[in-house]
Amino acid sequence: MSERPTAQELAEAILEFFGAEILPTLTDPRLRFRTLVAMNALGIVYRELDALPPEDDTERRALAARIRGGDVDGATLARVRADVEARLRIASPHYLERYE
Amino acid sequence: MTTVATAGDDRTEMREALEAVLGEITDPVLLAGGASKEAWAVDAGDERLLVRRAAVGVIHRHTLTLQHEFEVLTAAYEAGIKVPRPILYIEELDGREAFVMERLDGETIGRRIVRTNVSAELPLQMAEQLARIHAILHERLPFLQEASLDRLAEELDDVGEPHPAVELGLWWLRENRPPPRDPVVSHGDYRIGNIVVDESGLVGILDWEFAHVDDPVRDLGFGLVRAWRFGVDDKRLGGIGAAEPYLERYNERTGFDVRPEELDYWELAGNVAWAIGCLTQAQRHLRGQDRSVELAVLGRLGAEVELEICHLLESAGV
Repeated sequence: MSERPTAQELAEAILEFFGAEILPTLTDPRLRFRTLVAMNALGIVYRELDALPPEDDTERRALAARIRGGDVDGATLARVRADVEARLRIASPHYLERYE
Repeated sequence: MTTVATAGDDRTEMREALEAVLGEITDPVLLAGGASKEAWAVDAGDERLLVRRAAVGVIHRHTLTLQHEFEVLTAAYEAGIKVPRPILYIEELDGREAFVMERLDGETIGRRIVRTNVSAELPLQMAEQLARIHAILHERLPFLQEASLDRLAEELDDVGEPHPAVELGLWWLRENRPPPRDPVVSHGDYRIGNIVVDESGLVGILDWEFAHVDDPVRDLGFGLVRAWRFGVDDKRLGGIGAAEPYLERYNERTGFDVRPEELDYWELAGNVAWAIGCLTQAQRHLRGQDRSVELAVLGRLGAEVELEICHLLESAGV
């Protein structure tokens, strides 16, 4: 497991936020009900993610360790960049456009 | 400024505690922003005040206590630097450390500042104020620690996640270090977002909790980090201006001869520091010190900073 927070940890953080900070402020019964339903749905996501195998980060760990040891060549940056771009396509796809 | 809803009890207790030291005040309003410190706005007579108080259970490495931050603010004020006037340090305010300072009028939110027509003077004012900060004598603030780039690798190791782009950035910084300059008193987080701005330009410099002693170009380069351009990427200095006039004015006021390549070096160092900062902030959430979605997502958004590191390394010919 290397991408932190994991998708499951993010779902958990959002659940806590809804429970502790949003729900107590809601007075409209309809909105309150729909928020509880949304939290239940997010709970499903959280538990389903529990069943997934952790991401294999062996390659990323090896790359990081090699760079730390000073083993850098002409191909290193391209590999590093490809890894960052793959992570950004999940975390912040629009940000990539700023470099086009 | 945005305010957040607070339980009535907090506010009443805060008011009572504050009135014990300040006399009669208006109802304190908790301002949004800043996970590690609370900021309360109150008025006492015709004085507009801001109370900065430690948040619950937050322990940070490498940040100043509020007492030391107050001393730094006082030294800056006495040196004629534009800062909120420091008023009072309070060892215990409703159970926590706090200090009171003047509440300045103006804008601090970065994404708003870069979208308004800021004064053309702002980049030059930032350079002039930084020159004054760097002229504060270390002896005046002997508790300030000297920082080094080695600390960054240690912080990354504490996080314990593999981040090849950050490693490559650290590698480049080790291999290409310019001759070190004599260390100076440094703000540590000098950028758009931590300064108060109005139509005349720079009104005040905030957030001194990362003050330390360092190579002067570290502070100078930090404001160029792309994350602090708030989307206005073509203006390299914090989304508000070009780097060259800022550098030139800084050199003029300090008598230093900082070269553009040195600024490039510290811009990259600033990005590496902020990439690691994102990870350590996320750790505060993950380790339960400070549960917050805002901190949690930084763990993933740090990849944006990593892309900028790759981009800068490409420009450097790696």
